[in-house]
Parts: sequence; C-alpha cells; structure tokens
Amino acid sequence: MMDDIILEVTNLSKTYDNNTENEKNVIKSLDLKVNRNEFVCILGPSGCGKTTLLRCIAGFEGFEGSIKVNGKETVEPDTERIMVFQDFNQLFPWLTVEKNIQYALKLKGIKDKKKLKQMSDEALAKVKLEGNEKLYPYQLSGGMKQRVAIAKALALNPTILLMDEPFAALDAMTRNVLQRELLDIYEKEDCTFIFITHNIQEALVLGSRVIVMKEGGNIVVDEENSIEKPVKPSSPGYGEMWNRMHEALY
Amino acid sequence: MNQKMKGIITKVIFAILALALWEIVAKSGVFGEKSELVFPSLEAIGSAFIRNFTVGYADISLMTYIINSMKLLFEGLFLGILLSFLFSGLSMISKTFYYIYDLIVTVFDLLPGVALLPVVIIIVGVKPGIVVLLVVHAVLWPMSRNILDGFKSVPQIYIEAGRNIGLRGAKLLLGVYIPAATSYIVSGLKVGWARAWRGLISAEMIFGLASCPGIGLFINQMRTNMNNAEMYATLIVIVIIGLFVQYAILEPIEKCTVKRWGMSR
Repeated sequence: MMDDIILEVTNLSKTYDNNTENEKNVIKSLDLKVNRNEFVCILGPSGCGKTTLLRCIAGFEGFEGSIKVNGKETVEPDTERIMVFQDFNQLFPWLTVEKNIQYALKLKGIKDKKKLKQMSDEALAKVKLEGNEKLYPYQLSGGMKQRVAIAKALALNPTILLMDEPFAALDAMTRNVLQRELLDIYEKEDCTFIFITHNIQEALVLGSRVIVMKEGGNIVVDEENSIEKPVKPSSPGYGEMWNRMHEALY
Repeated sequence: MNQKMKGIITKVIFAILALALWEIVAKSGVFGEKSELVFPSLEAIGSAFIRNFTVGYADISLMTYIINSMKLLFEGLFLGILLSFLFSGLSMISKTFYYIYDLIVTVFDLLPGVALLPVVIIIVGVKPGIVVLLVVHAVLWPMSRNILDGFKSVPQIYIEAGRNIGLRGAKLLLGVYIPAATSYIVSGLKVGWARAWRGLISAEMIFGLASCPGIGLFINQMRTNMNNAEMYATLIVIVIIGLFVQYAILEPIEKCTVKRWGMSR
C-alpha cells in the first residue's frame, strides 16, 4: 500500500527564550512523517519536546523548519488541526456543553440551528454524553469535560486530532473507559490522531504506531504497533514491545 | 436556617438597632439647641421624606430632581462603559495602544472628578454636559482598570482554545476575552456605578444647575435653608437608589452570568 502522508514535519527546531541566558533548544532538527488515519502515540520523558512538537503542529508556537498538512505549509492554528489539552478547563465556562460545540461549528460557517443541534447531539453521542447538553462545564467531572473536548474536536471534522495527555489527570478506571471509547471513535472516524502520553500501556492500547522521543526531540524509537486490538497485557507481543519502549525511555 | 437568611436577619436587626439608637439620641437632646438640627427625630425625617415628594422645593418635587440626576447619570454611565470597553478592547489588539492607555488610566484614576471641575468649567462652561463628563470620568478609569486586569487574567488555555476554533483579533476579544473577564467587568461596573453616583452628587452640590436641577442641588438647598430633616430624607433617597441599582440591576447581572457559569460563588 502506498503511503498517504498527511503530516510532514521537516527539520523542525524550536528554541525558547532566544538570545537570553535561559535559552533552551527544546527541539533540534526533527523530521516526522505521519500517514492518513494513523494513530501515533508519542512517549517521552518530561521536557523532551513532545508538547512543544504538538503545539508547533497546532500553530500555537513559532518555529524553524517546515510543517506541512496535506502538502500545505501551516503556521497558524486552524480547525483542520484541533488540539485536545490535558487541562480539564479547556471548555468555555460561559457556554453549556452543547453551546461549546455549536459555537465552534458556527465559526466554521454552520448557521442553521437545526443542523447545529443535530451535529452537537451526534458529537456528544460519540462520546456517550447524551442528556448532558444543557450542563455548564463546572457541573461536569474531569472525565466528562475531556469527553466534551473530544466531542467538540470531532464535530469540527479535523484532519488531525492532536491530543496532549488528555487522560493524564484522570483516575485509572475513567482512563480505561476513555481509552476504549477513543479507540472506538478512531475506528469509525476518518481522522489522524497524534497522542502524547507518559504511559507505555496507554500508547500500546491506543497507538497504531508508537514513537519514543528523547531530549531535544530526538526520535529514538518509531515502530508500527502490530499487536492485535483490543490490546491487553496478555496479547501476543505486548510484553516484548512494552520492554522495548521501557528500555528506550529509561 | 440557611446562611442567606441568617445574613438578612443580621442586617435587619442591625438596621433596627441603629435607628433605635438614632431615636434615643434625638429624643435625649444631647446636643442642646442644635439637637433638632443634628439629629432630627425619625418621625420628622419620615414626614420630610413624604414632603420632599409632595411639596418639594420651590414647587418642584424631589422626583423631578431625581429624574434629572438619573438622566445625566445614565448618559454618563453609558458613555463611560462604552468607552471603557472600546479602549480596553483596543488595548488587547494593539500593544502600543495598551502601553499608552495603561498610563492614561493610572494617571486619571488618581484624579478626583471634583478636582477636575474648574478645568472642565473653563473648557466647557457651566452646562449639564459637565456633570455627564464628570460621570464619564468617574466610571471610565476604574472600569477600564478592571477590564484590563480581567483581560490580562484570562487563562491562556481559553485563548488557545479560541484560536484553535478560528477566533482572531476582534472575534477573539468578543468570543473569549470579554466573557472570560466577566467577573472583573461586573466588579468594574459596581465600582464604576458607585463612583459615578458619588461624583454626580458632588458635582451637583458644588454647582447646581438651575436649568437641570438634580438631587445634589436639592440637598444643598435644604442645607442652606436649614431644612435638616429634608436633607436627611434626601440622603435616604440616595441610599435607596444606590441599593436599588445594587440589588435590582447589578446583582441579577452577576447571577445571570458569573454565578450561573460557576465562575463565582
């Protein structure tokens, strides 16, 4: 099968606090290609540049080098690359759950109220949050807030969904439930996922490809995840791959 | 008994005790001949309150004075609020504008409106427009300071979430900065309203405009004529209007926005 490259990062470098004594070169000459509909999980220690890479792709940071989505150079944020943050407070507190989704859709040019309602309902159904449309974000649990953030992102039908440790602050049970739900969504949606995590198990459960990044954005492992889904610790090949990732990380 | 009820009962008991104390002092004649002037009885103040509205001063009811004051106040408030949003909004779009406006707000916020009165009279002359100008001065700077502080405290994640869904420039301002800073804006409205109200009364007391007599002028006339019961009754009217604005306008705004959104307790 010919590769259908959706994201091409070439010679990406990112330095914070340029020309100061705190100058930090977080990413140095990073190259990365991601195929359409891949689920790329990026593992790496804190400060290795994972989040910075995602923020550069999302258009939140200036950078040197080139980032192309669908062959087109990108520098500014756009709804074709939607970011789901780790912070639970990424929803607008002044809008209800459904209005948070509908507001984003309105900005995309959808004005018909019935259509907006239908689209927000569909998006909420994907994350199993039917019946919570009228709640305000402060009335939701952390897991529910992350679900709404994912629903909002999906409603916008992005080319790439960028997820920066979205489940990191959740309890283990909620995290497992959301992993399963996200995997279901991935299988049904025509979307490429780039998912940052510190958790090897999470990367193996979700990713169709796993990358391990080290200091300076140096990619030390880049592997297809061929473990049959749903991935369990007892799945053939799980232990070996887990060990490889663990060794690369520590 | 819930906390809200407890608060109301405490306030009512305090008010009754304060009034009782006032009446005791009034009846005791502790200030000798001046007693009736300094502490008129509650009965005298009550009847003066009614007289203010029925007879008024020089055949003009206090209601006319109130309407005149309110007209000027709302003109000034409207202009002040509008300008504070406009300038604070521009400050978020242009850094250069922000630096200049931040300095202007800091400087003018320190200047009492009454101190500016002579300058304004020289420039504008003695017209009702002066009171409007002073109300604008009273509301614009504290309101702007609050809005600017509110904008600066908007969490980065809201801004990025907004940019992510396509908000830029003025759209980002309207869609994220203003709603996210609502608690600061409401607080600015409270401070702005209180300052405007006090500024208005001061301006009217210092130079009452015969063409547009307001509450401040009414108080001054009562003071000049030693009608102290009427003067106190007018002060009560000022407090009642203040409480009305606080509880019937500003509090519902707060309830419908930041409290409803869980952004304030």
